[in-house]
Amino acid sequence: MSSPTTTEYVTLVSYDGYEFKVLRSAACLAGTIKRSLDPSSGFREGAENRVSFTNINGVTLEKVCEYLYYNQKHAESKDVPDMEIPPELCLELLIAADYLDV
Amino acid sequence: MAAERSRKRKRNQEESIARIKKGKEAKKKAARKKKRGPDDDEDDDDYDDMMDMYRKAKPLPGQLENCELCEKRFTVTPYSKAGPDGGLLCTPCGKSQTKDAKAAEKALKPVVPRKARRKLESNRLDGITTRGAKPLQQLCIEKLANHSEDIDDFGEMPEAIMNRLSEIFSKKRAMNSTTMKLFLRPDMDTVAIHEAAYLETEDFNQIIAVVPEIKKLSLRNCCQFKDGNMEYLIEKAQQLNEIQLLGANLVSNDNWINLFSARGKNLKALKLEWLDAAFNDEAVQALIEFCPNLSRLKLERCKQLGVDSIRAIARAENLEHLTLRLCKEIPRNDLVELILAVGANLQTLCLENFMDSKEEPDDDVLIAIRDTCTHLSKFRFTENHECTDAGFVNLFTNWPNYPLRYIDVNSTRDMDNANPEGPEDFPVGLADVGFRAMMAHSGSRLEYLDIASCRHIAHETFTEVFDGEKQYPQLREINLSFCPVVDTQVVAGIFRSCPQIKKVVTFGCFGVSDVVVPKGIVLIGAPKAQDAIEQFGDTIFDFQTDMMRRENGIVVPTMA
Repeated sequence: MSSPTTTEYVTLVSYDGYEFKVLRSAACLAGTIKRSLDPSSGFREGAENRVSFTNINGVTLEKVCEYLYYNQKHAESKDVPDMEIPPELCLELLIAADYLDV
Repeated sequence: MAAERSRKRKRNQEESIARIKKGKEAKKKAARKKKRGPDDDEDDDDYDDMMDMYRKAKPLPGQLENCELCEKRFTVTPYSKAGPDGGLLCTPCGKSQTKDAKAAEKALKPVVPRKARRKLESNRLDGITTRGAKPLQQLCIEKLANHSEDIDDFGEMPEAIMNRLSEIFSKKRAMNSTTMKLFLRPDMDTVAIHEAAYLETEDFNQIIAVVPEIKKLSLRNCCQFKDGNMEYLIEKAQQLNEIQLLGANLVSNDNWINLFSARGKNLKALKLEWLDAAFNDEAVQALIEFCPNLSRLKLERCKQLGVDSIRAIARAENLEHLTLRLCKEIPRNDLVELILAVGANLQTLCLENFMDSKEEPDDDVLIAIRDTCTHLSKFRFTENHECTDAGFVNLFTNWPNYPLRYIDVNSTRDMDNANPEGPEDFPVGLADVGFRAMMAHSGSRLEYLDIASCRHIAHETFTEVFDGEKQYPQLREINLSFCPVVDTQVVAGIFRSCPQIKKVVTFGCFGVSDVVVPKGIVLIGAPKAQDAIEQFGDTIFDFQTDMMRRENGIVVPTMA
């Protein structure tokens, strides 16, 4: 296998087909994404720079991406304002967050 | 005549309305002028006036006009709003337009995050570091707790998250008859409700009814847990082997005994706290008699319990974890007998507030612990002035026990108003030599240390124990509150001697000031009012960079 090229952006795909192009540094804040993209684990995700989720829908994944950037932006600041989460999304987002380890 | 009068009145009214409108406009214009400053308003005003010339004259109040948006015909009033293209709007359209405008204005305003100071301080004292964003899971859980009333079902939530949710619901006092049901699933084997004060008697039966295979039940502040619930539990929850109930004061003594005889050999753990009306020595005797496999027992603040309970517990041969805090005085001999009888298997031993005013203070209890306990990992011996430094020295010198993971000996000190310094020659409680012996024995494995109010430990001892050279690799949390000699030097020494330290508590240590706190560590209890109570570290110290280098596996060549 040729050594995978690490790109600046990676693609996250929801099960209903929505694709999100996210900065690799932000995406890797989620433990699950980080591990699946890690070249040393040798997964297909790492080679293709693309992670598909069979259990997360587009709306939730969009919120996850928003959170990843929010987290990256506030990594060093104190007393960070909480991110707005629509209540109806909470449960699905919670399960996704648990799965993604974020 | 009458008609003329009414016409006249109408005319007067119209005039006055026009006057008011004119006045308002003039005021508005003046305000606008002020806001914009003197330079640019001239041209704009001229331009506005010019544009006004080409506009159709607006109908006066009382006349009819078609609404600009909905085209409906309506009567113009002084309060009619202007539409987006300059025409007038009917009342409903005008209302909805102002609403939209207000909403837009609100959306434009930057959301200023301002949490109550009290909330922030509370978070910090809980050790929740506020650097960086909160984990997404935490954000979701907090949001969920705020909308607890609107949730129908959690679905297939992992059990760890369920428990976390239960904790936060409890903390926010959102655990009631309705929300409690969200946490019950027939396939679970653990139900833990940390704040059950809002639950009714029927709710407790429902827990058992929905989760009949329950193995572990934990209810705190279950004030409405009654005899009926206990009977139902005895009958239905046959698999139950771990029980924790706080404040279950409506259960009678007989029913406690029934519970123990019904579960018998299956009961493995029992934790009861805050019982005053029932649960007496007889119940404890029944517990020990019927439940020989009990390995974990915690009895705290049960008012009826006395020396007979201690004697009974001494017969529980399979105990591994024992926590006791009674309200009555226990003769020291009986306590020593208890330790001699069950100490050999114990991994946890917590004895709080055991004092015997009838006898001369001595170190019998510590001697008994040293002679019998060899498997301890958590040791708590607090609120006691009937132990001496020599007793601790004896305990921790060549003790065959493994190094301890958890030590709490807070408030072992002499309290005598007439002699505030305490006996100098014969230190009461943990003091210099005892502390050194303790750290020499357990320092390699110790994770948690509480020596609050151990005020006979000298400054010299602290600086020697935490000299920056000696390392305590596992120590994460230390409480030095009310050790008056602790100062900045000691705290700095702790930072250097404990690579894993996360939290240092120094309430009442007045020598601590202007500490530069390393990154990732929180120091709580800075005594000066103008300082923040806690200080989060920002600075990366040289010893921390060394550590980071080691962690990253980068070998930096150094001078030999």
